[in-house]
This record gives sequence, structure tokens and C-alpha cells, in this order.
Amino acid sequence: MIRGKLVDLRAPEMSDLDRNTRWINDREVTQFLSLRYQMSLAAEEAWMRDLVSKPLSYDRPFFAIETRDGVHIGNTNLFNVRPAVRHAELGIMVGEKEYWSRGYGSDALKTLLGFAFGEMNLNRVELFVYDFNARAQAAYRKCGFVEEGRRRQALYRRGAWHDLVVMSVLREEWASAG
Amino acid sequence: MIKGTLVNLRARELTDIEQSARWAGDEELQRLMGDRYPQSRAATEASMRSYVSRPLSFDDPRFGIETRDGVHIGGLRLMDVSAEDRRARLAIIIGEAPYQSRGYGSDALRTLMSFVFGDMNLNRLDLDVFGFNARALAAYRKCGFVEEGRRRGAQYTRGAHHDVIIMSILRDEWAAQQAAGEVTR
Amino acid sequence: MIEGTLVNLRAVEMSDLERYAVWFNDPEVTRFLNKRYPFSLAAEEAWLRENTGKPLSYDHVTFAIDTKDGVHIGSIAFHKAVPEDRRAELGITIGDKAYWSRGYGTDAMRTLLRFGFDEMNLYRIELTVDARNERAQACYRKCGFVEEVRLRQHRYAEGAYHDTLWMGILRDEWAALQEADEVRR
Repeated sequence: MIRGKLVDLRAPEMSDLDRNTRWINDREVTQFLSLRYQMSLAAEEAWMRDLVSKPLSYDRPFFAIETRDGVHIGNTNLFNVRPAVRHAELGIMVGEKEYWSRGYGSDALKTLLGFAFGEMNLNRVELFVYDFNARAQAAYRKCGFVEEGRRRQALYRRGAWHDLVVMSVLREEWASAG
Repeated sequence: MIKGTLVNLRARELTDIEQSARWAGDEELQRLMGDRYPQSRAATEASMRSYVSRPLSFDDPRFGIETRDGVHIGGLRLMDVSAEDRRARLAIIIGEAPYQSRGYGSDALRTLMSFVFGDMNLNRLDLDVFGFNARALAAYRKCGFVEEGRRRGAQYTRGAHHDVIIMSILRDEWAAQQAAGEVTR
Repeated sequence: MIEGTLVNLRAVEMSDLERYAVWFNDPEVTRFLNKRYPFSLAAEEAWLRENTGKPLSYDHVTFAIDTKDGVHIGSIAFHKAVPEDRRAELGITIGDKAYWSRGYGTDAMRTLLRFGFDEMNLYRIELTVDARNERAQACYRKCGFVEEVRLRQHRYAEGAYHDTLWMGILRDEWAALQEADEVRR
């Protein structure tokens, strides 16, 4: 596993199934994610079986976030990893709400970024965050992400149009931030 | 087909294979499209066969661009079409050199925009363009696309990282264009 | 296709089959390659089908080498590209002996090296070569490869053990060579 300060990143397991299903059906959690529709346990199970069947790799670095006490609190991953461009998109979900705003998400992020730059040899990590997700934007900025622009009215949620904020961190910025 | 002024947009046909294969082998064209590996004619043919047999639909509309005289000059497609968010990303190629920089691409774009907003009922049309593609940037701006930001270093070619610029046009903006008569349609 | 000075690199096609079958059964051509056993046409065809079936990508970079007149003379490829290490192994065969020692192999190598560094963003390119293959080593050195390791008695052929050399070239070394060439021109 990959060790952080408050959390570790480990490979996902089938035993994560019940927690994952609970989190992605919780609208308080998913309001900030690109999941719109409810997910059945059966569908989540099929998705997880496919996920755990292959070893983690450059193309699919998907991690479960665990506290140092071994509590599984969410997941984080890189996707659309492009080797020639050395670029990936980042996703994170802290499903256990009592672990929100306590530094666990930020630590998971920093740990994953350390892995992305230090082991996967990437040059750029980007993410898209909803304009109404102020808490996440602040956390991303603290980790070194910079806003590059907004995809206007890229999203329809809660009866209105919203912007998608594009944020990224480059290798050279990560290195100098220490 | 969808009629424009200089061009029409039509469904792709198997007879497009020769030209598509030729464009897929053109290093400079491919660079502008963000593709770095040449494709075999066999692979071009296989992928064309698989999608010409499916009817065009909301999810994956791909068009051939034809002049009014029936000359096939390029292609256009919409990707990541979201029904809930009513948005799509576009990619366009004018593969035939004699038809580049002469207004054919812009006309194809305007024709597509009428279809996207007037028939598909989308709210947002966007695209990615590389920082080094000055010609395309100018053409998109002229059609009313607005720059939203630069994804720094998000492309790699010719030995260096380059920015990828996000541009978009919203339904309201397109409608205002129409009302102001900026587009002859 | 990827354009060099004397050659172009293009995706492999099924129509290349006859030539591959002849070349890879020619002991003069295969003497220093890793091919000990004769190839059946059927096996060659199966390999070609598998290769032309997948599109070229970071993991699958196999090119046919054509002269500028369109004569297919050989093949060149990156194997085992590792994205984290930004490293790939290069292999080349000029199957048409009429084109040996005339600069075609060197040009194909330089063209692929440029693609590897400038488009695939590799950091290191390496290859192995039979210690007896002086002609190939001279070509690789001209392209900037440096001998790094000699694997003693690595390969058994023609009744004896032979050494294998590992050669490598790094991104900065390639860039320096390019600059030197610019100055000369």
C-alpha cells in the first residue's frame, strides 16, 4: 500500500462492496460527483468484480482510502492516463461523512499526487469540480491545484445550470511546493 | 442531409474509406487532431464498417462534410453527448488541402450549430483546440466560440508540451447571433 | 505515415504478408535476429492479422518501412514501452537486401527515434545487438546509441556461444545530436 500521514491507499477488495454501494446511493455524497442515478448492489458488484479482477496498473490506478486504523472511508483514482502526454485526471470520493473536513481527503490527495509524480512519472494531474463545491475547491487549492478555467453551463443539477471548474497541478509546481 | 451554404453534412458511407485512410496517414493532419500513431488502412476500414452500419443518433453522430457539388472534403463528429446536461464536444477535420482556409470549415461549423441547437436541443457545444493551432482558433472565434481556459501542458507533440484550449458556445449566445443576423442562414 | 528523409514509416497491412514471409525465411536476413526456426506462411499470416487488428498505440508501435517511392523494404518497432520509465526497446529489420548499407536503415532508425522522443515523450530508447553484427552496430552508433553492457556468451547459434550488446540513447543525448546537426546545416 501507499502510506500517507492520516491515510493509506490500498487496492480495492470485494469486501468494500457494501460500503461503496452505500456511499454512491447517498445523495449527500454524490451531489458533488458525476453520478446521477441510483446504483443497485448487483450493478455495483459487477463493476467491482471487473475492477478487482485486474491488478492495479498505469492504466487503472484505483485505490481505496483507509485510515491508519484500517477504516475504509472512500476511494480515489487516476483515469484517462495518457503516457505520451504524461497526464491523468483525478477523482476522489470520501464516502464516510464523519471524515469530511478533517484533513483525511487532503491527505489522500497529497498521497496520490506524490505517487502520480514520484512513481508514475506524470507531468500533469487535472480534475473537474462543480462550481457549488466550495469545500472541495479549497481543499484542492491547498494541495497545489490551480484553476485554469470554467466549462460554462456544463452541468445540469438541482434544476439549474452550473459550471465545471477545471483545475490542475503540474509536476514542476508540485516539486517546488515540497 | 443537413444543408449549409457551402457544404452539406451527411451520414458517413463506406465509400469514404479511401479518403479517410489517406487523411489518417497524413502526419500533420493527425497532429492537429491529437492523434500520434498512423493507422493501417485495415484498421480505418474496420472502424468505418462498424459505424456506418449504425444509424446516426443522439449518442454518437458522425458526419461527412461534402461540398454542394458532392466532393467529400472532411468529417465532423460529436462526442461525450450528455442528455441530462444537454452538451456535446465537437471534433472537425477538413482533410482536403484545397478546401482548407476557404470558409468550408466555418460553414460546416455553422451548419452543425443550427442542428445542435435547433434539432438536438442541446444547451452547450464545446471543443478542445491546441494552443499551436492558430488557424483553428481564429475560425472558432469567428463562429462565436468563447475561450474558457487553457489546460496547461495537456498535449505533447514535436518534443514539447502544449496547452489545450477549451472553447464553447452556449445556446443563448448562438440565438443572439442568429437574432443579430450575424449568420446568414 | 511518419516521414523520414529516405523512408516513410507506415502501419503494417495484410498486403505486406508475402514480403514478410520471404524475408523472415531468408537466413541472411534472420542471422542476427531472434528467429531460429523457419516460419510458415500461415504463422506469418496469423502474426500479421493480430498486428493489423489492433490500432497502433503506446503499447503497440510496429511500422513498415517504405522508401519514398513506396517500396516496402523492412520493419521497425518499439517493444515493451513502459510509461512510468518512459523507456522502450527498438527492433529493426531491413528485409530487402538490395537496400542494405545504403542509408535506409539509418534513416528509418532516426525517423523512429524522433517519433519516440518527440511524439511518445520517451526518455530512453534501448536495443540489443549481436556482437558479431558490425554493420548494425555502426548504424546504431551513427544514430547516437552508446554501448552499455556486453552480455557474455548470451546466445547460442551456428555451433557456438556469442555475446550480445545492450545499447541505449537518452533524450538529452538525442537533443544534443539534433542541435549539432542543425549547426552543421
